[in-house]
Amino acid sequence: MQSEVISIDSHIRKVYVPMTETGFYILLCLREEAHGYSIVKKTEQLTHGEIKISPGTLYGSLSKMEKDGLIRYVREEEKRKIYRITALGTQVLELEMKRIERLYQNMREAT
Amino acid sequence: MKNTKTEIRFFSIPAWKKEETYLREQHKAGWEFVLVSGLCLYHFKRCEPKDVVYQLDYNPDSTANQREYLQMFRDCGWEYLQNYVGYSYFRKAASEMDGTEEEIFCDDASRLDMLKRVFVGRMIPLLALFLTVIIPQISLQIHTPEHPVMLGFFCVMFVLYLAMFILFAIPFLNYYKSVHRK
Repeated sequence: MQSEVISIDSHIRKVYVPMTETGFYILLCLREEAHGYSIVKKTEQLTHGEIKISPGTLYGSLSKMEKDGLIRYVREEEKRKIYRITALGTQVLELEMKRIERLYQNMREAT
Repeated sequence: MKNTKTEIRFFSIPAWKKEETYLREQHKAGWEFVLVSGLCLYHFKRCEPKDVVYQLDYNPDSTANQREYLQMFRDCGWEYLQNYVGYSYFRKAASEMDGTEEEIFCDDASRLDMLKRVFVGRMIPLLALFLTVIIPQISLQIHTPEHPVMLGFFCVMFVLYLAMFILFAIPFLNYYKSVHRK
């Protein structure tokens, strides 16, 4: 993948680093094109039914992330909007992944 | 025995949680919510008593993307009932939830976002009216005291608005605190 360097401004940093668990799974799922409900299903599957994203939270997160340029609208299929992560979104997701990895490592070392 | 009934209930701006509980209790008692209209008129029809969860969302952005918005809720099993002064009404039977109590919001960040949307959509216009009309009018009437009736009118408005803000602020802060504490 082309390495595009985009600076993550302070607003994005403040809102998304660290991000909510729901937000993380939304971005993770949107590395492939997906609509809202398929994000719900995939997250449920990934977390063995532990996390069930609610529609109000999902709708709010998707519109916020689209406005902030983390994801973009691709097309509409049967009244469902399909989204995909942007280069900025990928950067934010990678930043979060690093943070979680560090958290995990420190947890392992502590036990 | 009558099969329909109408009740008048007033819920202040930040009290949608109370409204949700009210509708759920009614359904449990055998009164299915039909619609809310006019000035807080709640219409019900008789039904089999059932535990049905009612939820309200306030999202002005949803009117522009209503098809997508409603489809998302429908996909998740929530029945859309109506829009009333900017609030969208949804319900889902407890029996359709897999053991856990479902809500239309699943984290505190999104609950707070809803609170902020209500604040911006509801409180800011009232505050603007208060600051741009009522306060300037009072000072104008004091400096040109030809119409004591007008001065009295705006003073009454001032007190009413102030009372309203305080009444709204208390549940608002309580809700904010309860979301933050959880």
